Amino acid sequence: MKFIITSLKLLRSLQALSGVLNSSNTLPILDDFLFKIVDNELFITASDLETTMIVSLIPDLVEGGGEVAIPARILLDTMKTFPDIPITFEINRENLAVEIKAGEGKFRLAGHRSDEFPQLPVLVDTSRVEIQAEVLVNAFEKTVFATGNDELRPAMSGVLCELKEDHMTFVATDAHKLVRYRRFDAKSEHNASFILPKKPINQLKNILSSKQDEIVVLEFNQTNSVFTFSNVKMVCRLIEGRYPNYEAVIPAQNPNKLTIDRAALLNSLKRVAIFANQSTHQVRFKIAGQELILSAEDLDYSNEAKERLSCSFEGDDLEIGFNSRFFQEMLNNLDHSEIRLEMSAPNRAGILFPVDNENENEDILMLVMPVMLNQ
Amino acid sequence: MERTIVHMDLDTFFVSVERLINPSLEGKPVIIGGTSDRGVVASCSYEARRFGVHSAMPMRMAKQLCSQAVYVRGDMELYTRYSRLVTDVIAESAPVYEKTSVDEHYLDLTGMDRFFGCYKWTHELRQRIIKHTGLPISFGLSANKTVSKIATGQAKPNGELQVLSTQVNSFLDPLSIRKIPMVGEVGYRLLRSMGVATIGTLRLVPPVMIEQVLGKNGIVIWRKANGIDPTPVKPYTEQKSISSEHTYEQDTTDIMQLRQTISAIVEKLAFEMRSKEKLTGCVTVKIRYANFDTHSQQKQIPYTAFDHILLDTVLGLFGKLYNRRMLIRLVGVRFSHLVGGSQQLNMFEDTPEIANLYQTMDSIRRRFGKDAVVRAGGISSEKIKVKR
Repeated sequence: MKFIITSLKLLRSLQALSGVLNSSNTLPILDDFLFKIVDNELFITASDLETTMIVSLIPDLVEGGGEVAIPARILLDTMKTFPDIPITFEINRENLAVEIKAGEGKFRLAGHRSDEFPQLPVLVDTSRVEIQAEVLVNAFEKTVFATGNDELRPAMSGVLCELKEDHMTFVATDAHKLVRYRRFDAKSEHNASFILPKKPINQLKNILSSKQDEIVVLEFNQTNSVFTFSNVKMVCRLIEGRYPNYEAVIPAQNPNKLTIDRAALLNSLKRVAIFANQSTHQVRFKIAGQELILSAEDLDYSNEAKERLSCSFEGDDLEIGFNSRFFQEMLNNLDHSEIRLEMSAPNRAGILFPVDNENENEDILMLVMPVMLNQ
Repeated sequence: MERTIVHMDLDTFFVSVERLINPSLEGKPVIIGGTSDRGVVASCSYEARRFGVHSAMPMRMAKQLCSQAVYVRGDMELYTRYSRLVTDVIAESAPVYEKTSVDEHYLDLTGMDRFFGCYKWTHELRQRIIKHTGLPISFGLSANKTVSKIATGQAKPNGELQVLSTQVNSFLDPLSIRKIPMVGEVGYRLLRSMGVATIGTLRLVPPVMIEQVLGKNGIVIWRKANGIDPTPVKPYTEQKSISSEHTYEQDTTDIMQLRQTISAIVEKLAFEMRSKEKLTGCVTVKIRYANFDTHSQQKQIPYTAFDHILLDTVLGLFGKLYNRRMLIRLVGVRFSHLVGGSQQLNMFEDTPEIANLYQTMDSIRRRFGKDAVVRAGGISSEKIKVKR
């Protein structure tokens, strides 16, 4: 088996694939890329058992067929060093030795048997839906930061995808903050929902961000989902378990409404948070009239900060505390110039909306739980 | 560089506070400690010491030695308040100070002699403390913590003593090795059996020999005998943990009772944390069996100050810890890794009702006293104290 391919083309694909690889694996074969040639087409696979990604490429020249597993690290490191030149791969069928020729250089490394590489799961009973790549990129960008890390609650470590007949909803929460991203221009024929793990989400987000016009074909069943677009196919195992009932925790009656410039609030919050306790990052929001006063203190170091912002506010004066980290993450993940914070009471959730969203098909809701201030 | 370290110690602190409140105790032997049979002496007046009573002695023995003494239960909260008064006066003027216990402070005055004269300055500070608080206090002034502390011991009661760096050895040599802070009952007996009675003798013993007898600590003790102690005065830092333990009147295996005690301890500690706007990140449970075998286990948790979360964790640890069917003498709970902040609410677990319940219960406690409202599961006949 032999093929010739330009180094940059190969490197781009390998780098995209490398996101799937774990830094330490129990199965040594998972440190490899699987190379496979069928009908003049090269398929490269990376897998961590949970997520498997396959990229197909057309090499400049192909002789013979077959498959071999090649150590990923050494291949990536080598490819990074080349300028854009053609590279010849020659694999010895007998001993699986891989010989790479590039320019004046000649490199040799030992390949591994391809049958050790994990097989792709066979999907039965699948549903199929087509989604605009831009929808997925936005949905994943807006939600993935809010996922949890608690091993005891695996469902919350992923993003819930709800496909409905008139909209799609993507939800992430760690029980302290929650994001609900809804699109009315993405629909599915059948109602369905599943929880997608963080890793394929980040992977898809990165790859799709440069391919926003593509159509992504999503096939899924109870246990797995497959994303297919251009020359990429990604198979990922879904997170099992029940997602918490998120709609129930979004308060419906929020008479206190604060509208404020997002960048101004974010800037002040960043500054004030420097003076907050560095373990709890708590910042106090005091809203009176048309004024928002942010304050924080760290008694251990006698640090104290207070900053006043003008805002527009309707409702009763209110004092509420938030973990500034959560709040900053939310503000960072919105790209609108103004936001609205709706609250009902100091012990109940605050809800963040963008004001004047230009995209009519988009509905973003972010929720953050306060800290229980002493009265 | 030569340092100047002051050790200040309040004389029979608990007794002094009690006398301040009740002047009729003046001149009488006073003993403070748990009044039950199993309590120990926490503090006693000089009059009581004449009868052979000393702190940490079982109460029963103290009663035999000195039946005419006035026995006081002791009020830790009151003592803490007075202790803080003293600390406040020191903090006002001292450049660096360390509070090592409720009645002891170390001050680092290095470099101040060029401007003030350390002895004069400390003397004035002592007078200020006596004037502000009405409590007798003694101090020792020397080149390091150990010598200063020993000097304070010699200066007591109500005195002051300076040991210049040139006089350190001549000051220490004639004293008993008991005066060295690290030498306890066991170490004292061992050294005495070797024929070492005074610090001067100890100083001349080769350090290798002492290490053989007392282990690694032997070297430290030998250095102290030579007046060498490089430990710095660490500035007073925020409280890092809060704990409480309970010794039963009678050893018990009654799970219900044990859980009640634990529940009451957790509730009190958690309330105190919430009042001070603190959260804990680490929970430790300790049990002591009747034979004094002591075991403890700890667990890191996300920062919290909620009773129900802490109680779950603590009871879980207790369940793991209590695996021998033996009588228990003591249970204790410690919350450490304290950080400033308020409880982060969880959208799925903490309903607004729970948050409101905590706030209402806390405001009732603040208004009508800590015991005004408690969990039914924590009600028991025994009184639980909180200490740090």
